[in-house]
Amino acid sequence: MAKKKDSERHNAENGNAKNGDEPNFNDPDGFVDDISDEELLGDILATKPKETDGFDSVIIVDGIPKVGTDRLEKLKNVINKIFAKYGTIVSDYYPKDDTGSTKGYIFIEYNNSVAAREAVANANSYKLDKHHTFLVNLFTDYEKYTTIPDKWETPTPQEYPEKPNLQEYLLEPDAYDQYLVFDTDWHVQIWLNSSPHPTLLEDRERWTESFVRWSPLGTYLATVHKLGVVLWGGSKFAKVMRFAQQNVQFIDFSPCEQYLIIFSNYHDSSETKKLGIFDIRTGMEKRSFAIDGAPAWPIFRWSKDDKYFARIGQNLLSVYETPSFGLLDKKSIQVSGIRDFMWSPSDNVLAYWVAEDKDVPARVVLLEIPSRQEIRANNLFNVADCKIHWQKNGDYLCVKVDRYAKSKKEKGEVKYSGMHYNFEIFHMREKNIPVDIIEIKEPIHAFAWEPVGSKFAVIHGEASNIKVAFYDIKSGQKLALTKLLEKKVCSHLFWSPNGQYIVLAECREVGALEFIDTNDFSTMASGEHYKATTVEWDPTGRFVASSVSAWNHKMDTGYWLWSFQGKVLRRCNSNTFCEFKWRPRPQTLLSENKLKEVKKSLKKYTVQFEQKDRIRLTKASKDVVEKRQKLMKDFKEYRDKRIQEWKKQKQERLQLRSNVDTDELNADSKSYEEEIVEFIIKEEITLV
Amino acid sequence: MITLIMYLHHFQKPILLHGHERALTQIKYNRDGDLLFSCAKDQTPNVWYSLNGERLGTFNGHCGAVWCIDVDWQTKHLISGAADNSLRLWDVSNGSEIGNLAVRSAVRTCAFNYSANMAVYTTDSTYGFACEIHIIDVRNADESFSKTSSILRMQVEGAKVTSTIWGPLDKTIITGHDDGTITQWDTTTGRIMNTIKEHKNAINDIQKNSDGTMFITASKDCTAKLFDVEDLSLLKTYTTERPVNSAAVSPIFDHVVVGGGQEAMEVTTTSTKAGKFDARFFHLIFEEEFARVKGHFGPINSLAFHPDGKSFSSGGEDGFVRIQSFDQSYFDYKFDY
Repeated sequence: MAKKKDSERHNAENGNAKNGDEPNFNDPDGFVDDISDEELLGDILATKPKETDGFDSVIIVDGIPKVGTDRLEKLKNVINKIFAKYGTIVSDYYPKDDTGSTKGYIFIEYNNSVAAREAVANANSYKLDKHHTFLVNLFTDYEKYTTIPDKWETPTPQEYPEKPNLQEYLLEPDAYDQYLVFDTDWHVQIWLNSSPHPTLLEDRERWTESFVRWSPLGTYLATVHKLGVVLWGGSKFAKVMRFAQQNVQFIDFSPCEQYLIIFSNYHDSSETKKLGIFDIRTGMEKRSFAIDGAPAWPIFRWSKDDKYFARIGQNLLSVYETPSFGLLDKKSIQVSGIRDFMWSPSDNVLAYWVAEDKDVPARVVLLEIPSRQEIRANNLFNVADCKIHWQKNGDYLCVKVDRYAKSKKEKGEVKYSGMHYNFEIFHMREKNIPVDIIEIKEPIHAFAWEPVGSKFAVIHGEASNIKVAFYDIKSGQKLALTKLLEKKVCSHLFWSPNGQYIVLAECREVGALEFIDTNDFSTMASGEHYKATTVEWDPTGRFVASSVSAWNHKMDTGYWLWSFQGKVLRRCNSNTFCEFKWRPRPQTLLSENKLKEVKKSLKKYTVQFEQKDRIRLTKASKDVVEKRQKLMKDFKEYRDKRIQEWKKQKQERLQLRSNVDTDELNADSKSYEEEIVEFIIKEEITLV
Repeated sequence: MITLIMYLHHFQKPILLHGHERALTQIKYNRDGDLLFSCAKDQTPNVWYSLNGERLGTFNGHCGAVWCIDVDWQTKHLISGAADNSLRLWDVSNGSEIGNLAVRSAVRTCAFNYSANMAVYTTDSTYGFACEIHIIDVRNADESFSKTSSILRMQVEGAKVTSTIWGPLDKTIITGHDDGTITQWDTTTGRIMNTIKEHKNAINDIQKNSDGTMFITASKDCTAKLFDVEDLSLLKTYTTERPVNSAAVSPIFDHVVVGGGQEAMEVTTTSTKAGKFDARFFHLIFEEEFARVKGHFGPINSLAFHPDGKSFSSGGEDGFVRIQSFDQSYFDYKFDY
């Protein structure tokens, strides 16, 4: 009954409403509103004006000098000079104490918030002088900093996230190397160069948005995106770290993979570019630099142990140290006329050269860091240019010096004539660092040190007779030419990472490759990969990859794999192929003695390896045979069905061709007419 | 297992047919295989003895590049279509022109049907004329040919037809198009029965296998593909690095031959040494390449197997036709499976 009553009342109410009476919207007594304003009109509340609105173009600069009224003008000038770089300053305010001197902090308002943010990013930690370092913050962040609780709360320990084993690729039992293949449309594949067929490990569409790089030891794969750089690692190439920095142009790793350097256009309009140095393990930005203009990449060169990095400036060399990321000894090294420098790959020594200036000769200097001690210097005359080549072990340094007989100034450009070339070889491991000199009168096309060992190769000569010269440095003996190969077709030299073998390549027109064993200078093989522009040895010196990129060529793009003896193992041609990169490996952990031992007992291992290879080959051919059997079976099934149908149609076919059976070539033998055709095969005329 | 690629030219000397002054456009054997017909961008189709390469005669009359030829099953009549906007019917026995059918634009493809009662030809879309497919009656082989009106006319929407074959029992026509599509038409109604797009670029050639149950397409997208003639299902793909101009299926083995090269205008940029003008042999089922035949110094434009499968011919951009007889190593070659 109660129920019915209830519904009746409902009806009654509805009836009332229809009659036009206002329904009662009041909350009943004791009603508690459990819906917050946030929930009801969160979107509207979000747009509610805040106190700091309109202040987002205002910055607070702390740490400026406290000065009296007399020096205020000067201070303002200095401050303006620094901060006007980032945008137009609309107004500034210098709070003063009772005596009229500034309080050590100021407010600056820009005409837009972008400029303010840029000022914070660049001028923060700006060292004005010894005692004053600026602390620059956005005014809108002020609140954030004031609400920091006074009492320290111990942070709750975060759960340890399982990190992938970044060294897993080195655990491959057969020491197969990996390589990446980069296609147009940002399609990246990672392959394992296994025998007898490579194995595809990863295949991702749009893995990157501009380019990909391996880190120098091969631990990480870096992909570059619109919003920054991502590092991948481990067996499944999981995301290891992200670095946010927009409009990335270049990236670089420090040699020990501790730091990542990202160079980017700050934003498109600005001329100033940003270079950020990040700690790879934490993802934190350690330091950033504002770079003007278009500098040559890499801007910074790193010492082999990640301890120092240096860049060249106008008449100075700036060496920075890690982990403080400040200038070494807080000042740059003054070197007037410095042109180029290179770090030694084995020691904290750098070689730089200084151009000639009127009566002052050019100089090549070896400088020890951090002591800044010149350990060797060499004066040179009539120098047009120098190139510094360190041998990979740091045992030798070669400076290629382009010298001239005469120089003329024409239209502001210096023109040289009578060019000849010197190679100055510094013996780094010997006392006082003696120097050997070789002079070559012909134009030099390429120079390359044998990565291990003491040989180097030079390509020189006129186009009609290109020569490849090999020199060997033997301690205690005079540097001598060991072999001269004449009339070669080559433009580039590629030594095997383990030395001994070298590929002479012509990478401009034809793409000719010649594989040479420098023990006896015999040509093991030569081949041609038409139009090949790049040649790269795998990190173990067992394979060579040559490639033609779709960036340079329209036709014949793809990559080929060669054995170190010069046999083509694989041709992968693809229209979309762009880049091939072997995954690098860290240096071997085996001691020198151990390596010698391995080399000595190589025969023993060869037997094992060859047996392994045979087993793999038989297995592979078994796989192929199985695959073919399946294909054959499937196709036969399909064909049998079709042929059945075809046979059923025979009658219809006969009708179409007036009952002549043409199904087989000779089926219709009845209607054959034999015709004898005579051909003259040979005509002989004999005169009697 | 790595399949070694044989170079067949080491063994048998080919017969070189030099009768054309310009690039070959199409070559065809007759059903018996004793004659080889060829047409080129010059104006004169030729007929040759396939056995020794002697020229039997020429078909004089066209005044434009001849794009296509076809011979009927009894080797009585030949039709040819040309850029002079005409389709001509010839008497094979004496080389005389029986009829000349004037068309509004260049004739790109032509084919007799199985019974040779009808023929199909297609026209280019030029000068404001759309690409059209025409089916005509060719039973009255006399002067009236020039006044023949089409039994069926099909307007082609979209890309023009570049190659045409008749389906089984003359019930369908299959056309390949400039954008890579393949269309199947009903020859009684003129309606489209099926359209597929397996190729990414223009189709250059379509040929049937010997029993007409499958056909192979050659495409600018660097592949040749094998299809079922009834439901147009894709059976196999043969991949190369160059645009494929022609492909044919062996009548006796599970082999296909593909040929091509880059477009004529780009030829000079490539050395012949790069070996891109070879005729290449693939296994029909495994899609693996196993042999190559060198020879042409320009792209191959047309390929044909001799009906007995013991030789094949290729017509090239270089103006030569090469008849290559297979040697014993070809017949001995077997895939392991």
